[in-house]
Order: sequence, then C-alpha cells, then structure tokens
Amino acid sequence: MTINRREFIKANAVAAAAAVAGVSVPAVASNLITSSDITKLKWDKAACRFCGTGCSVNVGVMDGKVVATHGDIKSPVNKGLSCVKGYFLSKIMYGKDRLTSPLLRMTNGKYDKEGEFTPISWDQAFDVMAEKAKDALKKDGPEALGMFGSGQWTVQEGYAAVKLYKAGFRTNNIDPNARHCMASAVGGFMRTFGIDEPMGCYDDLEAADAFVLWGSNMAEMHPILWTRLTDRRLSAPHVKVAVLSTFEHRSFDLADNGMVFTPQTDLAILNYIANYIIKTGRVNKDFVNKHTNFRLGETDIGYGLRPEHELEQKAKNNGKTKGSSTPISFDEYAKFVSTYTVEYTAKLSGVPEHKLEALAELYADPKIKVTSFWTMGFNQHTRGVWANNLCYNIHLLTGKISTPGNSPFSLTGQPSACGTAREVGTFSHRLPADMVVANPKHRAIAEKIWDLPEGTIPPKPGYHAVLQNRMLKDGKLNFYWVQCNNNMQAAANINEEVYPGYRNPKNFIIVSDPYPTVTAQAADLILPTAMWVEKEGVYGNAERRTQSWYQMVKAPEGAKSDMWQLVEFSKRFNIEDVWPEELIAKKPEVRGKTLFDVLYKDSSVGKFSLDEIPEDRLNDESRDFGFYIQKGLFEEYASFGRGHAHDLAPYDRYHQERGLRWPVVNGKETKWRFKEGSDPYVKPGSGWDFYGKKDGRAIIFALPYEPAAESPDEEYDLWLSTGRVLEHWHSGSMTQRVPELYKAMPDALVYMHPDDAKARGMRRGDLVKLISRRGEVQTRVETRGRNKPPVGLVFMPWFDASRLVNKVTLDATDPLSKETDYKKCAIKIVKV
Amino acid sequence: MKNLNLASIAGLMALVLAPVFISFTANSADKAEINTLATLRDHTEIDVQKEPNRIPKVVNKDIKQARNYPMQPPIIPHTIRSYEVNKNNNKCMSCHSRQRTEESQAPMVSVTHYMNRDGNFLAEISPRRYFCNQCHVTQLDAKPLVENTFVDMHSLMKQKTTSAKEH
Amino acid sequence: MKNLLMIGWKTLTKPSGYYSLGALVIGGFIAGIIFWGGFNTALEVTNTEKFCISCHEMENNVYEELKTTIHFSNRSGVRATCPDCHVPHNWTSKIARKMKASKEVWGAIFGTINTREKFLVHRKRLAQNEWERLKANDSLECRNCHNFDYMDFTEQSERASYQHSTALASGEKTCIDCHKGIAHQLPDMKGVEGW
Repeated sequence: MTINRREFIKANAVAAAAAVAGVSVPAVASNLITSSDITKLKWDKAACRFCGTGCSVNVGVMDGKVVATHGDIKSPVNKGLSCVKGYFLSKIMYGKDRLTSPLLRMTNGKYDKEGEFTPISWDQAFDVMAEKAKDALKKDGPEALGMFGSGQWTVQEGYAAVKLYKAGFRTNNIDPNARHCMASAVGGFMRTFGIDEPMGCYDDLEAADAFVLWGSNMAEMHPILWTRLTDRRLSAPHVKVAVLSTFEHRSFDLADNGMVFTPQTDLAILNYIANYIIKTGRVNKDFVNKHTNFRLGETDIGYGLRPEHELEQKAKNNGKTKGSSTPISFDEYAKFVSTYTVEYTAKLSGVPEHKLEALAELYADPKIKVTSFWTMGFNQHTRGVWANNLCYNIHLLTGKISTPGNSPFSLTGQPSACGTAREVGTFSHRLPADMVVANPKHRAIAEKIWDLPEGTIPPKPGYHAVLQNRMLKDGKLNFYWVQCNNNMQAAANINEEVYPGYRNPKNFIIVSDPYPTVTAQAADLILPTAMWVEKEGVYGNAERRTQSWYQMVKAPEGAKSDMWQLVEFSKRFNIEDVWPEELIAKKPEVRGKTLFDVLYKDSSVGKFSLDEIPEDRLNDESRDFGFYIQKGLFEEYASFGRGHAHDLAPYDRYHQERGLRWPVVNGKETKWRFKEGSDPYVKPGSGWDFYGKKDGRAIIFALPYEPAAESPDEEYDLWLSTGRVLEHWHSGSMTQRVPELYKAMPDALVYMHPDDAKARGMRRGDLVKLISRRGEVQTRVETRGRNKPPVGLVFMPWFDASRLVNKVTLDATDPLSKETDYKKCAIKIVKV
Repeated sequence: MKNLNLASIAGLMALVLAPVFISFTANSADKAEINTLATLRDHTEIDVQKEPNRIPKVVNKDIKQARNYPMQPPIIPHTIRSYEVNKNNNKCMSCHSRQRTEESQAPMVSVTHYMNRDGNFLAEISPRRYFCNQCHVTQLDAKPLVENTFVDMHSLMKQKTTSAKEH
Repeated sequence: MKNLLMIGWKTLTKPSGYYSLGALVIGGFIAGIIFWGGFNTALEVTNTEKFCISCHEMENNVYEELKTTIHFSNRSGVRATCPDCHVPHNWTSKIARKMKASKEVWGAIFGTINTREKFLVHRKRLAQNEWERLKANDSLECRNCHNFDYMDFTEQSERASYQHSTALASGEKTCIDCHKGIAHQLPDMKGVEGW
C-alpha cells in the first residue's frame, strides 16, 4: 500500500491527536473506526442505471470505488427509496468478467470471421473498424452501415451517435433498442397529439382517485412508482385500483378490480369503455367540441413480418397507407364503437360483465380523477399504436387529461428511453425534438444547427431494429455497431432472424459492452465499455425529467465510454472518405478535415473549455478530447428544442437539481402540458391546447379490434407471454452479476397454471421444452410462483442468458411503430 | 516381411501423426472455449443450450447475512412461501412490526419504514413501504455464475488504518 | 288415501304371523347393514374432495387457491384434501359438523357466494368460523397429521423450532394461532389477533 505525502501527514496528525486524547489509533485490532478522514465517503447524486422511473440515487465513493448506494432523499421521484436493484447498484460495475481490452476474432494475427477472440489495442480495433466501414461505404454506399443503440445511452452518447451516423456517414440506419420498448407509445403520441411524451407527471400519483393499469406490472417493473401508488391507495380509502393483464401478477395484490383478459382483446375493452361513456351520456361535450377531432383509421394493416409471409400477403392495407385516416363526425364514431357492447366484449375478452362495467364507470364518472398507466402490454402489441390511441380516446371523451390526477400515462422501460431515444431522436426516422428525416424543413433545421451543407442528411428513413436484423441476414447491412444493449438476447426469433445476420460472412459486427454478453459472443469485434458513474451523463425519465450526474470513479483500465468510442472513431474518417464531392463543394472549408473536426471539435460541441469542469471532478473523455464535450453535446442538442416546446435548462443547472421536467421555460419546469396555467406554451384563453396539432385539437380515433398475429391452435396450444422480473434489469447482464440479485432469481422459469401442467403430465421443477414454429428453449416448470397465468397461457421472463426465450418468440411487429409483440405467440410445451 | 514392413510404416505414421491430431482437436476445443465467452451462458454456443439446472431451494437457515453497506435492505433468511402481502394483509408484519417483535423475536423493520414521503413519522408502517418484497428478497441456494469483486467500505478502511499504522 | 295409511300402520304394528322370528332378525340385521352402510357410504361420499369441489363456489375459490400451497404439493406427496382439515374425524363431531353443513347446502342453492366478489365479501366470516373451531379443539385437524410428540425440532428451521418448543409445547398457542392462511388466501386481517 503506497501512501502519498498528504495522506502521510494526515495519518500522523490523527496519531498525534489520538495520543493526546489518550486513546490508541483505530486500527485493525479495533473493530470500530471513527477517524473521520478514514470513514469519510464522498457522496454524489446520479440517476439510477435501471428503469424509466428515473429515481435519483446517492452514490458513496471511497478510494475510487463505489461502496454504497441508496435512494436520494431530495429527489421528488423516489424520496429516499430504491427498489432492490437500485439498492444493489454499487455492485453492478464489479463483475469479475469486466472487459478491459478490445477483442477481435483473429486467425494468425489477422481478422477472421471464424477466428478466435484475441485481445488487441484500441488503435488496432479502430483500424479494422475504419477499414471495414470504408470498404462497405465504397462497395454499397452509406446504406450498408448501421448502428443499434440504446435507451440506456446517455443523452450525449445518443446525440453523438446520431450526428456521426446521420450527418457523418449520411445514413439513417441507426435505431435504439427503445424500438422494442416504446415505439408504439411514440406512435400513439404523434398520432393523437402530434407531439411526443406524457402530458402528465408523477404528481398524478398523489392526485388521482382511481388508477387503471393496462398491461403494466408496476409492482415489479416500476417498483418506486408502485410505492407511490400504494401509498395513495392505502392512505386514501376511496381510491380504487383496476389492473388488467393477460395473467395475474404482483400488481393484482393491490387491485380492487383485477381482470385477466384473453390476449389482444384489450382493444375491444377500450372501445367498450368509449361506448359505455357515450351510452351513459357522460361525454364531456364542451371539451370534445373545443379540443378534439374524430377520425376513422385504416384497418387490416398486417403484422410487420417479412413481405412474403402469408399474413402480409393476406393483409389488404399494409402498404404506405396503413397509418392513414379520414375525418368522421362524433355520431359516426359513436356508431363505430356501438358494436362493442358489454355482452360482446365480455365474451371476447373473458372478463365478466360486472367487472367491465365497474372499470368503465371509473372513466365515465365525472367526479373520479383517473390515471391510466401502461407499459409493454400496450406497446409490445401488433396493434400497439392503436391501443395507445384508444386509451387516449377515453380520456379525451371525458376531458380527463392534463389536470392533476387525470392522466393517460405511458410509462417507459429504460432510464433514458425518453431522454435519449425519443428526445434526441436516435430512431431511424427521427431527428432531435420530434423532427423527422422525411421532412425537408426538419432536415434543413438540423443542417443549420449542425452548420452543415444542405442535403447532408439523407431523406429516407433508415432500417428500424427488426429490419436491421433482416437486412443483416440478407447481407444488405454490412458494417454494424451495437452499443449499450444485448439484442442477441432481446430480439425476437433469434434462430431465424437474429443470429444468422450476425454470423453472415458479409458482415462485420462490433459490440460495445462492459461485459461479455450473448450479443458480444456473436460479434466479430468487442469493445470494452465504461458504464454508469464511470462517465458523466444525462438521462431523461418517463415524466420528462432530465437528470445529470458527474463521473465519480474511473473505469477499469482499458474500458472506454460509448461516447468516447463514437467520437474517437470519428477521427478515422476524412470528410472525403464519407461525403460525395458535390456535398463537399457546398462547404469547401471542411475539405481535409476529419469527421471529429467537423461534427464535434469545430462545431458548437467543441466550444466549452475544460475550465468549466470543476477541478476535483473526474472527466476522462473531456480531458482526453480537450474540451468539455458532455456540455457541448448537451447544449447543441438542447438548441433544437428551445423555443419549440422542448426547452431544456442550461446544462450546469442540471448538476444542481434533482432533475427538471421539460419544457423548462424561464427557469421553471412544466408539470402538466397542454393545460392553461401549467404549460407556458398553451394559448391564453384556450383552456386546453394540444399544440402538437396545427388546430390545437387532439384526435379521437375509430379503430377496431383485430386478432393477434399468431394465436394458439391444436398443435401449438398455448399463448406465450414474455417479460421482465423485479430483480433483474432487462437481459440481466448487470444484475445477474450481483450475487444477491442472482440468488434472488437465478433462472428464468416457465410460469404455468397447475391444471395446464397436470394436463401435460408435468409438475413443478420438470424439465420442459417450449416449442414454437421457430425454435425451442428448455427450462423448468413453475406452478406456484409470483405470476399466476390462467389456463391456456404461460409466461417466461427473458433475463436469463442461458435460456433464450426469444428463440421461440415471433418477430411480428406493429406495422405503424415497428415494435415487436413479445407478449403473444403460440407454443406447445413438452417434457424433455 | 512385407507385411511387417507395412505394419511398421503404419505404426511410424501413427506416431508422427498422433501429435498433429491431438493438437488439432485441442485447438478447436480452445477456440470454442475462447469464443463462447458469454459468462452467463457458461461456455455454450448460441445455437445450442445446456440442460437447465434444477430449481434451487430457498435458503431457510434464519442466519443474518452481513450487509454490503448500512443502507442495503437485508435479505430474507427464511422461506416466504404462501406469505401474503396484499391489500388485505401483510404476513411479514405479523412478525416484524413493532408490536409483534417481542412475541416473534424477529427483527423490527427499520424506523425509516415509519416515515412518509415528507419524512414525518407515522404510527404504523408507511404505506409506501407496504410491499416488503420490492426491496427484500429471499436467496436461493444457487452458486453465482460470476464472481463479484465489490469491496466493502470496511475492508477499505481497514486497509487504510493498517497502512497508517505501518507508517 | 286415509285407508291406505291405516292399512300400512296396522301392518307395521301387528305381530308378524308369516315370517319366522329368525328370518325377521336376520332380515332386520341385513337391512340394518344395508341401511347403515348406505348412510355411511353417503356420508363418506360427502366427505370426499370430489364432492366438495362439485360446487363451483368451492372449486373456483378455495380449491383453486389451495393448489399452489404446501398442503397440495410438497416434498413427500402427502396432501391434505378438503375434509382432512375441515371435517372432524371422530364420529359425533363429524355428524355435528355435517348437520351444520346443511346451511352450506342452503347457501349453494340460493347462490350466497356464487361469484368471486360475493365469496370475498363473506370470506372473513367464513375464515373466522374455521379459526374459532380449530382454536376450540386445539387445532385437532392439524394435529391429526402434525403430531407434536413426533416433531423433530432439529429438522426445523431455527425460528420454527424455537416457537414450537416454547409457545406450542407449553400449550400457550395452538397451531392455528400462527398458521392462518396456509391453505387459502386470507381475508382482511384487520383486528385479527396476532396481525
């Protein structure tokens, strides 16, 4: 143990003081250490690394190591609480198998797709990456390049990636894993309101009289929001909780009205509620007349499968018009939903009539303030956008929106699905601040902010997540970089549509991760990555709250953050390597410069000096690049939204606050959007103003129930739903390395009804195979776990890298949002 | 004689070739091992699957486990099968609530559990802490797949006091 | 009609002049066996789980809940059926319980608990009835299988062996005091002792 001079003096001072006081120095022999400079922890705030709730946590650091974490008492989100994962954050960075060197598949010292993973230097790694990228560019143009990013990227990482791909490489083939998670929510918001993200905020939890959970198991997936909901339910006896799901789970423990419905029939239930509101004369006519329009949406839109799939051949409207709609009157809408009677809906959904009526009454009763929550049950749905639209319908018909406690609230799964994926716009069709690449005006705005010539950004939306995998398999996407996600475990239909693409000899696959994940195993080059508080960053949570943290500890030697990797890699490209001559000619001064110069250093990203970083703060990336890059990226990105209803505060302020909810106007955050008095963007005198639409009116959509892509039949006789568990975050690459979390939930079991097990001659613990038309996975039977599926449905979580349930799932997506339906496919189960 | 010759040639060839074969198979085994680096898959190719282990039992020894840091929620050292925590009742609190600990001899829930969102103390456990299993979990008798190198602050402090004493 | 009854009555009261005494005694004995056997068989039929769950009130509520508990599925496969816990084993108590059960027949006919919601409304009262019964008979139905004399405390968890060797051994507590809700879900436990 070495000790520097300062520490030596301090230690001596302690000894001297102790001698005077007549006590011995606290040492190994003593079991209580009281000397404050030894016991002192450096505490700092950070956003939790896990879900979209966006808890703030306090992180205790000693000697360059994280030694403790707990809920931040000052944070309005969690007020001192964490869930079990959050309490164990301290240990996620210390799995013994942290990667510390780039690994390239090599034979005899040369890259070989079939070679062995061999440690190489970062220089060598970037050399081979640059060579592969340039080859692909030369051969097939920018469309051969792609990236799969993350809703767990920091805002700065996402923004750096968007700029590198959309402006640097000039391809829109960049998409985040958030596509699997809330693309349908985005679609729903854009379609109904013309602007993304919830109008309400978590303060709704303390204001509502009733909560309805639509396909959201908050008790496990958003535990801290669940503590707030529980607090409200148990402290205010009049409050009611309704829970809808395709199987019984922990959230039912608090349900006053728990409903298990047949998969996909949520669409019918939503329409039934609208019908009930109309039939019982409780439409808020004043609100509806002033603030809404009615439209009839296109139907029979297919299931987002490959075009040659028989379901796509059969679908009438899966082409360009699938998202279109035509205006209708209120009466036409009322007639449309009138077929969703309580008898019809009860029969279709399997939910008893009196339960449906009790549910509908919560919405219809004008005296009840009602908040709807949903997550993957709606979003991972082949009609996910519709489900979102239909839920807004109910809130709009009753005017129960944008006021405290009246809130249709789409919860997000990932810590920065909102902040990074949605707000920054790391989707294949998007740009920052809700803008889209297909819109020439939007491209022009982006090109102006980036100070790049007109025509830099390609107009064609790129490959979305599922399409990227298909294009890899088909050999059309050849240079592919995966950061901050584990898609080999997360994507549906691994056997047919994921693994083949990664191992296609035409492709070069790079995976950046702190740990050797399943996806890393399928890669050609693995880059060791710094995580969480080993870097500075910003996350944005589900209630529009933007939160920042400083770097607190150094990453293991050799590991680098995603942002550093992206920006450092950009140095390998001269503008002439990536842009055609006619584009360069429009801005000759970029000639001879690297992408690093053009996109980062010489742009507004590079304008903040290192002096702005407090001296006692770590910031490895900025000190390496020579400017305060996190601030530069954030400020340039923020300029997209300021003045356009996406206003963010100055970067430095986020270091002081426990986050702020955008739009932040005149230093003040916004709690409820679209409502006069709480949202500064609302036109005075309008009451409500859905300013995302030109006429300020939100849209009520007439959309029907349509069946799922695949339903059980004689041979594949069970529904399979997949999902998460409380103890593990997503694919478990962090939490499975924390012994306490691992031991709390080591394996993914298949949860089934005891009668279903018995009928197949199975019992708890039996080794079984889940078989679909696409593949199989082995696991063991659980008949008495926390999830209680009805007869005919089984549930298996996907966190377990050793039991890849996505070998079985179907890659059917919502044709509008392109989000995969992980909740419904048909399987059979046999004993092994 | 001719036969003998053939046999000896074959034997010689086998001797020469054997190491080649051996090293070849060893190499391909190494390669598989190196390339199957997903630790949580225990060296298994992506397109195959190892037989899932049996469902482990819940550790039911009633022995308290040291916490990694003071704010860590203690794990549950006993089984909780059929313990209901729902709108109607909270089985955990029938032993761990303040009034019940004398009889049950179970540890009382932390005082923080009596605080509401604003930090004021309530007479009963705060409803926000009602669902115990959001923070407290049992442990199954399973061996972690990957070691964790987290260092407890006490170990760090002891290192420091030791080095302070040595100087 | 009146005449018919009179003839019947007279036949029953008149001494037999046709059958021998032996035949009458033996016949009576056989009839008795048949009658008693029939009664007992009927009693036993109503004492099976199959009978209990022939009412959907039982099958969809309490039986469904039982399926995931340790009294249904466990290491050794010894499982408790409804009557094991809910019907006393000795004859007089059994008959007394059966007579009380007539109320349940009434309930079944009139649909007192024929939906989950109605069942939940009555659940606390129903549970309390059972707890009181078990408390009064010192958890007799538990002890039919779980005999205190043969418990091996060293095989129990520390917590269990402590409680069993003190509170249970001294008679201060009986099984049901601590083991409520082991086979079915619990009602609202507000005001219940020990909660």
